Amino acid sequence: MRTFPLHALLSLGALLALGVYAFRLGFLPWAWVGVGLGLYALLVLWGLRFGRHHALLGLGLFAYWFPPLAFLAPLLFALLFGRGLRQKEQAALYGWALVWPALALLLVWHVFPTFYAFYLSLFERVNFLRPAAFAGLENYRILLQDPLFWKALGNTFWYVVFTVPVGLLLATGVAILLNTQVAFLGFYRTLYFLPYITALTAAAAVWRWIYHPEFGFLNWLLGTPGLDWLNTPKGVFALLLEPLGVQPPGFWAGPSLAFVAIMVMSVWHFLGYQVVILLAGLQAIPKEYYEAAELDGASFWQKHRLITWPLLSPTTFFLFTLGLIGAFQVFTQVYVLTPTVGVLQDTLTLAFYLYNKGFRDSDFSYASAIAMVTFLLILVLTLIQRRVLERRVNYEI
Amino acid sequence: MRFRPGVLFVHLLLLLGGLVMAFPFYWMLATSLKSPQEALQAKPVWVPERMKPGNWLKAARLGDSPLWGGLAPGRSVELVFPGREGHPPRALVPRTPGAFFDPRADGTRVEVVYREGAWRVRLTNATEEAFRFLPLVVLWPKEVPLAAPLPPDAIRSQGEYWRLEWVNAVPGALGYVLHNYLEAWHAAPWGRYFFNSFFTALTQVAVGLFLAALAAFALARIPFPGKEAVFVLILATMMVPGEVLLIPNYVLLARLGWLDTYYALIVPWLASVFGIFLLRQFYLSLPQDLFDAARIDGAGYLTQLFRIALPLSLPGLVSYGIFTFLGAYNALLWPLIVTQSPEMRTVQLGLQAFVSEAGSDYGALMAASTFVILPVILGYFFAQRQFIQGIARSGLK
Repeated sequence: MRTFPLHALLSLGALLALGVYAFRLGFLPWAWVGVGLGLYALLVLWGLRFGRHHALLGLGLFAYWFPPLAFLAPLLFALLFGRGLRQKEQAALYGWALVWPALALLLVWHVFPTFYAFYLSLFERVNFLRPAAFAGLENYRILLQDPLFWKALGNTFWYVVFTVPVGLLLATGVAILLNTQVAFLGFYRTLYFLPYITALTAAAAVWRWIYHPEFGFLNWLLGTPGLDWLNTPKGVFALLLEPLGVQPPGFWAGPSLAFVAIMVMSVWHFLGYQVVILLAGLQAIPKEYYEAAELDGASFWQKHRLITWPLLSPTTFFLFTLGLIGAFQVFTQVYVLTPTVGVLQDTLTLAFYLYNKGFRDSDFSYASAIAMVTFLLILVLTLIQRRVLERRVNYEI
Repeated sequence: MRFRPGVLFVHLLLLLGGLVMAFPFYWMLATSLKSPQEALQAKPVWVPERMKPGNWLKAARLGDSPLWGGLAPGRSVELVFPGREGHPPRALVPRTPGAFFDPRADGTRVEVVYREGAWRVRLTNATEEAFRFLPLVVLWPKEVPLAAPLPPDAIRSQGEYWRLEWVNAVPGALGYVLHNYLEAWHAAPWGRYFFNSFFTALTQVAVGLFLAALAAFALARIPFPGKEAVFVLILATMMVPGEVLLIPNYVLLARLGWLDTYYALIVPWLASVFGIFLLRQFYLSLPQDLFDAARIDGAGYLTQLFRIALPLSLPGLVSYGIFTFLGAYNALLWPLIVTQSPEMRTVQLGLQAFVSEAGSDYGALMAASTFVILPVILGYFFAQRQFIQGIARSGLK
């Protein structure tokens, strides 16, 4: 004999509860809630065939007034009459009951917003002051011609090109040195790791002070008094090539000096994380490989090029991916170091542009368009990266 | 053991890199102990006066309490300046600029007398209230060599005199050293900010941990229909970058009427995909025999979860807890968006506001940065291993 699918009712109840909330907030038309309630009622009616006590499940129909009831009613039923359940049913019920709290939160705060962002991006300037007009892909068309968007994208590109290789190289070097059974390992690791757990806001405040044009430490160290690091919009390549009389145009002038200052601070901040991850990766490489190589007379470079590098590649790959995605989310450092996005918006990043458009210009639809394009870019880049790079990654040890 | 020059080289490299990494911290700490005049020097002051133990002893003699100083009604304090008779210094308590009535300037009796080879500046509190700070200015004739009872916070030239300024003539040892900290702490409601940050972060950790533990257990150990679909859905949410969620979640919070409340700070980040994955990995690594044995003894799924799986996955819980706490405590962008009123600010937001308000008072700014990062740094030193392992674990597949 078939048994009553209590877990299905439970899941339907959870969805119904979310649906009622969505209806109350005006995200869902009444019809959907009606359909949900109807289905729920049908299931409960069907349940009556398995025994009159299933009428208790009808409690869930009061979800219209108290939404969680739709989810709680099946749980209450299981609590009262769950003794007779067979193992399979029990697994189904418990599985869903345990998954739903987290799943519901994910649906509401992660899955739904992803689609809602796309929906918002199709309207003309949503800001809730007046009804918005449907604009199709107009926002995306404007976005593709928006010089500031390209500026932000260019900065993101430079951020990846500068910070990821430099950070990885430095971190790999430090990790290899730390992995040589050096004394005071804990002390050194702490030195390198502390910046990472320091709040970016505080760290950026300190660096702002170090970069201070008149009294900053850096200007004293480099002997460049008065150099205003964070307010110099000129590209670094242009600055370097200036003595040669070469004037690289536009994008090829490179990231502005201000943005380079931000990148240096970012490398400092994230280095410790990379070191710790790489050190864990290094420690997973069997010592026998190195011993065998030493017997064969391999030099320091040979050992690291032929053993460390290939065997560490999954870790490096992971950090590379993380750095790539992180570049699209640079915000805090820029916000603290250059609150007005520098001179001529030269330190604009994608996350900052999104914030500016959404919360300073209150143009939610355009900001959503930026978000969607960012999402798409990250998706495409990770896919390409997987295709191209992952082939070269050696997962076996 | 044979001495290897290579080891020395490794230490040298690591130490050099470590110095660069640690320098911003030293600079933050040093600046937080500087008077404005010391901070605003083109040539950096490496060791500020307030860092020297000799000065702590001098400061301990000034004020009622050796630690926190202060001047109770009717009490007096004597500052001794060795000098020559015939060249009297002048002393005054400066008025707070723009203050209509200043009890400290009006109610302090200042006497300057010469006795036993030294000029004595005697300050007596003639009011009914106790002073915690008592600023003092002494004009010292330039032709007499100066030996101040406490290094002045600022020295300026004023005609025939040196104008010596103290922000507090009754500091006590701690009041002297931590002057900038006290100033920064009283400049904003930091107690409230810290409460907000800790409350937000700890709630996120506690509730998030509980929800993730439930869901992860179901996904790892309970065979229920639809499990694969749930797993794929959770995997898919991992692909969505955080910025996509900013706008739609803001809109959602606005419709719920939750903006500028603790709900806005906490609820959207309760369900964590990272936590679910991490704990699922832990539960999967536990031997199945354990759960079989428990089931034979009549343990249900909940008993298995809370009595076996949770206690055995403690390292995973700690990792997740540290990660979530750091993320919540150090966050700037999200609190920036969803809170408006000063009472709802988190410490990072408070610090950010302080950065833009403090102007050139870098001593106070660095002091604020120090106490904002202090809880995390202290936590690191107490649970160093858990921190490192927790962070390293995030990189393992």
